[in-house]
Amino acid sequence: MSLREPAWRVTTRELESSLEEARGTGDRAASYLLSPFGARMNRVLLAGSISAAEPIGREEPSTFWRSRLSDPLGTVAVTAGSFQPRAMAQLRAAPAGRPALVVGKVHLFRGRGGVGFVSVSAEVVRPVAEGDERATVAETVRQTLDRLDLLERIEHEPSVPDATLRSAGCPAGWIRAAREALRRYPEADRAGFREALAAAVRRVAGGGVAPAPAAATAGLTVTVDRPTAPRVEPTAFDRADEAAFLDLVDEAAEGSADGYADVRELLRRLADRGVRTDRAEAVLGRLEEGGVLEEPVVGKLRRA
Amino acid sequence: MAATPAGEELPEVRLRDVGGGLSAQVHVVGKVVSARRREVVRRSDGGRRPLLFGLLSDGSASVRFTWWDPPREGIERGTILRAVGAEVREFRGRVELVFTWKTRVGPAGPAELPRLDGDRLPLCMVRDLKEGNEGFRLEARVLSVQAKPVNVGEERRIVHEGLLADATGAMSFASWSDFALAPGEAVRISGGYVRAFRGRRQLVLDERGVVVRIEPTGLPELAEWTHRPARPIADVEEEGGGEATTIEGVVVGVLPPSGLVHRCPECRRLVTGGLCRVHGRVTGVADLRARLVLDDGTGAATVAAGREATERLWGITLEDARERLRGLPDASVLEEQLLEAVVGRRLVVRGSATRDDFGLTVTPETIEPAEIDLEAAADELAARLHGAR
Repeated sequence: MSLREPAWRVTTRELESSLEEARGTGDRAASYLLSPFGARMNRVLLAGSISAAEPIGREEPSTFWRSRLSDPLGTVAVTAGSFQPRAMAQLRAAPAGRPALVVGKVHLFRGRGGVGFVSVSAEVVRPVAEGDERATVAETVRQTLDRLDLLERIEHEPSVPDATLRSAGCPAGWIRAAREALRRYPEADRAGFREALAAAVRRVAGGGVAPAPAAATAGLTVTVDRPTAPRVEPTAFDRADEAAFLDLVDEAAEGSADGYADVRELLRRLADRGVRTDRAEAVLGRLEEGGVLEEPVVGKLRRA
Repeated sequence: MAATPAGEELPEVRLRDVGGGLSAQVHVVGKVVSARRREVVRRSDGGRRPLLFGLLSDGSASVRFTWWDPPREGIERGTILRAVGAEVREFRGRVELVFTWKTRVGPAGPAELPRLDGDRLPLCMVRDLKEGNEGFRLEARVLSVQAKPVNVGEERRIVHEGLLADATGAMSFASWSDFALAPGEAVRISGGYVRAFRGRRQLVLDERGVVVRIEPTGLPELAEWTHRPARPIADVEEEGGGEATTIEGVVVGVLPPSGLVHRCPECRRLVTGGLCRVHGRVTGVADLRARLVLDDGTGAATVAAGREATERLWGITLEDARERLRGLPDASVLEEQLLEAVVGRRLVVRGSATRDDFGLTVTPETIEPAEIDLEAAADELAARLHGAR
C-alpha cells in the first residue's frame, strides 16, 4: 500500500452515512472510516461552498476554528486547530459562501444513543473558481458511481477474484473497501444514494446553484440504532464543543437569579449558534458523565 | 604469469556459456567493465597477496572475475583481456572466473572481441529486461531522443538519451555513440546492457552496440505513447512506476524542500547551511523546484517539478523569487506562497514514474493544466445515473 493515504472523492452525504471504522495494520497504523458506498477513508477531498469560520472554545485568541462545507447533498463540519496553523489560517481566510476545495482527515465521533458525527480536520482549504469546483464535483460523482458499480458487481458475484476486478481497472484499495462495505453495511440504501447524486450532476451542469452555505441545521448528523456502539474517546473537535458549551453555561448562570443555568435556555442559545438539540444533548451528556457539570435540580445546571 | 601449454588447446568460449556444466578451465576474451585492487593477508604467515577483481564482459554476458597476483598497472576499465585457463567457480549461485598462476592472461585488441551476431541473440521484450541483462536483442520503437553533453572525468562527451517502447512497455536508453536515432523509428538493437538507477531501468549502448532499422511490425505507434490517457495513480504505483506515464490529479500539498533552493555547483545536490553532502562547504547556486503531491482519489504521487515547470506553475521566475526573498523577514514564507499558488490546481503530468520507500515519484516531462469539459461530463454522468434505473 502507499505511504500517503489517497484523498477519497466523496460527497458530504456519503461522509455522514459513514459510521464504521477500521484500523490499518503495523505500527503507526492509520484509522479509516468505512462508508456504505465503498470508500475506506483516512483522507478526503471535498468540493462545495464554505461558511465563515467560527472560533470554538474559550481561549483568546482562539486556537480552534470550525466552518461548514456544503455540497448539493449536504453539509459537513470542517475544523482546524493551532496544530495545523496553515490549515487554520486558510480556513479563517476562506471567503464565506464561495466555492472551495477541502482536503483533510476524517473523524468520527459517536455520541450517546449511537449518534454519529463526522467531521473533517482540514489540511488544505482552497477557494477555487466555480469551474474548478464543478470539475471536482464531476470527478466525485464519477468515482462514486464507479465504486457503486463495483459494489453491485461484487454483490452479484461475491466469489469474483480480485485479479479479474483489477484487470477491469479497479484499484486494489477500492476492491478491498467494497468488500468491507458489503460486509459492514449489508442493508445500505444504494438506490436512494444514487438518486441523491442527481443533485450533484445538476451542479456539474452549472445548475443546482451552490447550496445555501452553512445552515447549521442541515443534515449534519445521521442517527442509527446502534445499541452496541463502542465508546470512543472524544476528539479535539468534541472537546472544543464541550469548551464552547461550558462558556455558555457560565454565561447563562451569571445572568440568572439563582446562579443555575437553565437547560432549555441553554439549548435555545445553542440553537441560535447553529448547534442542533440532539448534538447539544450529546455534549451535555458527556459533560455530566465526566463530572464537569451537575444537575441538582431538574432542568438546572451548574459546574460540579 | 605462468603459461599452461594445455591452455593453447582450450577453445575460446563466450562468457554467456561459461559455467553450465562446462569444464573447470576456460578460454575467454572480454573487456574489463570495472576493476578494483585489494590485498589479502595470509593468516598463516601474515604475508600480503594482491588481487584485482571486477567485471568482465564480452557482450554476451558480464561475469565477475578475481585475479590473483595481477600486474601492477595497465589493467583498468576498458582494457581487453584474453584469459586462457581461467577457472570457473560458483559463488552465491553466480558464475565467477578466477585467474590463478595457472591462467595465462594477456592483452587483446578490440578486433579479438567476439563479433556479436544480433540475429542470433535471444529476442527480449522490454517488460522482461532486468538490471544486469546483456547479450540480448531488442526490437522497439524510438519514442524520443535527445543529445546531452556530460562530463565523464575530465572528458566532455555527448550521450543520446531517450525512450524506447515495444508492445510490452517502455524504457529509457542512453547511447554513448551516435546512432542517429530519431523519434518514430523502429530499430533492432543488440550489444547493449541494462542498468538501473533508483528503480529506473536504462538500456546502455556503447560503441559495440548494433542498431538496425527494421519494419515496425507489431510495434506500438508513436502516438500511442505520446497521447496516452491518464491512468489511476494506484495502478501506476502497483506496477512500480513506468516510463511515459500520464497521471491526472489535484495538487493537495507541497513537500519540503520546495521553492527557492540552493544547489552544489559541482553535483547539483541540494545545499543546506552552505554544505553539500559530498563536496563540503560550497557556494550554492540558486534554483527553483516544487515537490507537488498530486492526488487522483485512488492514490498520490510526488511530482518533482524542476525550475521551468515551477516558474510556469508559480507564475514567477527564479529572479522574482530571489527579489521577493529580499523583502521577506522569514524565508519559509516563500514556500507558503508557492503552496498557495499551486494547491488545488488540477494538473495532467506526463513523465517517468519510479516507486521507492517514500511512494511514487514522477519526474515530469510535461505538466499541463487539466481541461475539463463540464457539459460533456454532466451529460455522461446523467446518462450513467439514468442507465442504472
